[in-house]
Amino acid sequence: MDAMTVVIEQRTEQDPNEFEEAVAPAPARLTRFLAGHIDAVIVVALVIAIVAVQAVNIGNFPTVSDDEGTYLAQAWAIQHGHGLAHYSYWYDHPPLGWIQIAMLSWIPALFDHGSQVVMHARVIMLPVTAAGSALVYLLARRLDLPRWAAALATVVFGLSPLSVTMQREIYLDNFAVVWMLAAFVLALSPRRHLWHHIAAGLCAAVSVLSKETMVVVAPALLMAVWRGSDRATRKFSMVGFAAAFSLIGVQYVLYAVLKGELLPGANHNSLIGAVQYQLGRGGSGFILQRGSVSNMTMHWWLVRDPILIYAGAIASVVALAVRRLRPIAVASVILLVVAARPNGYLPAMYVIQVIPFLALAVAGVVHAGVRAVLTVGAHRRLVPRPDNRFFRILSRVRFGRRDLVAFAAVIAVGLVAPFWETGDETADTSTTNDNYVAASAWVKANIADPAHTRIVVDDALWPDMVDDGFQPGLGAIWFYKVDLDPAVTKTLPHGWRDLDYVVSTSIIRQDPNGLPIVRAAMTHSKVVATFGAGDQQIQILRVDRTGGGQ
Amino acid sequence: MVSTLIVLCSLALFAVAVFTLWWMLHAWRTPETLAATRFADPDGTGALSFSLLVPARHEQEVLEHTVLRLLESSHTDYEVIVIVGHDDPDTAAVAHRLAAAHPGLVSVVTDTHEKKNKPKALNSALPHCRGDVVGVFDAEDQVHPDLLAHVDHAFRDTEADVVQGGVQLINFHSSWYSLRNCLEYFFWFRSRLHLHAAKGFIPLGGNTVFVRTPLLRANDGWDADCLAEDCDLGVRLSSQGAKVVVAYDSEMVTKEETPGSVVSLFKQRTRWNQGFLQVYRKQDWKRLPTFRQRLLARYTLVTPFIQAFSGLLILVGIAIAIFSQVSIVVALVSFSPLIPMTATFAFEVVGLHDFGKQYQLHVTFVHYAKLIIGGPFYQLILAGAALRAVWREMRGRKDWELTKHVGAHLVSEVEATS
Repeated sequence: MDAMTVVIEQRTEQDPNEFEEAVAPAPARLTRFLAGHIDAVIVVALVIAIVAVQAVNIGNFPTVSDDEGTYLAQAWAIQHGHGLAHYSYWYDHPPLGWIQIAMLSWIPALFDHGSQVVMHARVIMLPVTAAGSALVYLLARRLDLPRWAAALATVVFGLSPLSVTMQREIYLDNFAVVWMLAAFVLALSPRRHLWHHIAAGLCAAVSVLSKETMVVVAPALLMAVWRGSDRATRKFSMVGFAAAFSLIGVQYVLYAVLKGELLPGANHNSLIGAVQYQLGRGGSGFILQRGSVSNMTMHWWLVRDPILIYAGAIASVVALAVRRLRPIAVASVILLVVAARPNGYLPAMYVIQVIPFLALAVAGVVHAGVRAVLTVGAHRRLVPRPDNRFFRILSRVRFGRRDLVAFAAVIAVGLVAPFWETGDETADTSTTNDNYVAASAWVKANIADPAHTRIVVDDALWPDMVDDGFQPGLGAIWFYKVDLDPAVTKTLPHGWRDLDYVVSTSIIRQDPNGLPIVRAAMTHSKVVATFGAGDQQIQILRVDRTGGGQ
Repeated sequence: MVSTLIVLCSLALFAVAVFTLWWMLHAWRTPETLAATRFADPDGTGALSFSLLVPARHEQEVLEHTVLRLLESSHTDYEVIVIVGHDDPDTAAVAHRLAAAHPGLVSVVTDTHEKKNKPKALNSALPHCRGDVVGVFDAEDQVHPDLLAHVDHAFRDTEADVVQGGVQLINFHSSWYSLRNCLEYFFWFRSRLHLHAAKGFIPLGGNTVFVRTPLLRANDGWDADCLAEDCDLGVRLSSQGAKVVVAYDSEMVTKEETPGSVVSLFKQRTRWNQGFLQVYRKQDWKRLPTFRQRLLARYTLVTPFIQAFSGLLILVGIAIAIFSQVSIVVALVSFSPLIPMTATFAFEVVGLHDFGKQYQLHVTFVHYAKLIIGGPFYQLILAGAALRAVWREMRGRKDWELTKHVGAHLVSEVEATS
């Protein structure tokens, strides 16, 4: 029933073009080309708009995060042949995400290379977002949504202030999402081709190997493959999908086995050990419990865009009832349930994985609603009218179903647009990374012999230090590793006395692990430069080896 | 140096396995492809006449059943020509008895060649064929009564020069190797051959193959010196641009039995492989019009040899990669051919399930287990047969080793229907 109606709608949409081509005097070649590729034209326009909004001020907002620096440093390690990480790889995440970052890292070099590497490297996220936006549109079309609804999904995906914030950052989740969207698009390929379904499995595997948490969406994807395949060939499609997914996924395990790092053991990292660590990782509390870390994370999302979160969550549940939307609704609901599990670990970037599914659910449900208004019970009056003077006047005003839809659309846009406009404007004008830029510039200008100086920094600054000529790993030291990596600690026989500088940022100050050597170095040091004030203040501390201090 | 070698070999093996898998799954690519592999329903007006050749050699036990079954055909215009050897009185007696009982329908041609083989037998009968189309069946084949009507329609509907019907080994329960052998046929006739027909290069099967009589005569029939005369005929006709149509219908396939023992499977495979080698060396395929067709021909004809050793080569590659302390990336690459190989196993399991459904056969867990566990051993047989084929071809031994048939599929049908 659903599918039938949509088919009719699509036909009526396409008909005018066919008519135009057949009857109208031959229009200019460009017009004809555009008319034949309406979807492509819409996608290009949307992608340009989204990329433009995301590109402006990309380096200055949001604040660079330690994770971005980590992934970039790991990508740096791959590019320079140091293996999978700048310190020993410990199976924190599968490495495909930063392998992709490494593959894209030629892009920032095309632009001006400023002092803060992470900020400038964010340019690589633009093609990722562009691909993601195009895939959201395509996926919406393959869920039988008309063009306007597909465009709506794409706009929500790319222009929500939450998206504009998160998709700019060099997070593995952004890569994983693009591959997962590609997997859904292939699973729902209208040709129902076996190799498309196998390719869906490949993309899903790449997605999970980019960010392992994406694996929770697998049941929804399986549903999509089931729906996207024909009865006659379904067996082969399902097995092809599953085989591709698992056989590529298992390569990661194979890597660990070949390195002798599958099982936990003394003096080496291991895959199983890392999984045990991640699963046992202290939870961040229940998301709906006030004061828990998860709740604060959610609050932060809500500050950026409450509309997407609330409307998306409701739409996801509603979309479960709409047959053709079910695969993405299931994906969305699974991700929401996982986020809401009691005392699970919920990092801020988690929301990146949910955004496309929320966007598709919103667009899908809006479309279903509009269609219901336009078609359900078309022979009956929409609202029974009481017989009084006011309604008699009103009844003279012709108020059709289309007008109702248009009215609702104007209201919705009127409510959402100013809020998003403000959010996106913040993203496009704020400068939250000035302190980092200044600190990085100070180090470059004032530390004379970087090759023989040992400086402790967070990962957001680590790539800059390497850029300045500090020895990667033991000269420019990621602060975690001072205390936690035996390979680093053993090069510090005199503890904090073997360090020269510490760049104290909020990330280092906040660290709850209580890294003793770093603490001691910070205690026995003098402030030589200060940037900014308050929480985001950055101080450059010179370690006083004689034992003095603040 | 070792690393480069391992990487190159592994990538080559990976590519071979992927291509083989791709082609093996041809029929199931899209629902439309699958639908197109079937016979179209006949229109009921038979227009062509058929001469059905049944060469029989020491097959007195199964011949009568086969011929009687052919005579049940719903088609109205055909003759059955049984070809027997002058040194095989037992089979000849059965054949003559059948001819006497069905005058005008069944006739007997005696092959008087000193050294006998199937192409010589077929060629002996060719001058006696009166039909528009010559069809070949083996003495142990079970042919569906409606097959001729469908083939007749396919010839007229598609203006084909050649129609190849499906052949299916059916006694999968007989032994571990017959399970794999049945499945090999299933993937070949159900899927792979359709790809060859579409690409214009096809090694034909040994039976249920129909050729327009004038075309066959113009080509002097079958090559009497070739051990894979069926493949050779297909290659020669393809390179002349003949239109070949393949159709597979589980109801309409010709049912056959697997060789009765591992040794006879081994001998049969040796003969086929040697035949493929001969066809390759005859170079008729070089007359194919396009480069891609020639590439496909070259690849198809040497596939038995590549495939036979790929399993072994993969293991060797992995062993070298592990013991010679190459980098982790190289080691991972050395494992890469296992990806399509494992996927092939998974698809074979699906194939077995589909096979069971299509033929209403009871496939149990044990069969799936046999299929997987038997895989490497079957591969060993194929590798041995490929080696032996090369050895025999180099030594110039080209005699015909006949596969003995015991009629296991006939029993199986009784079992299946009971």
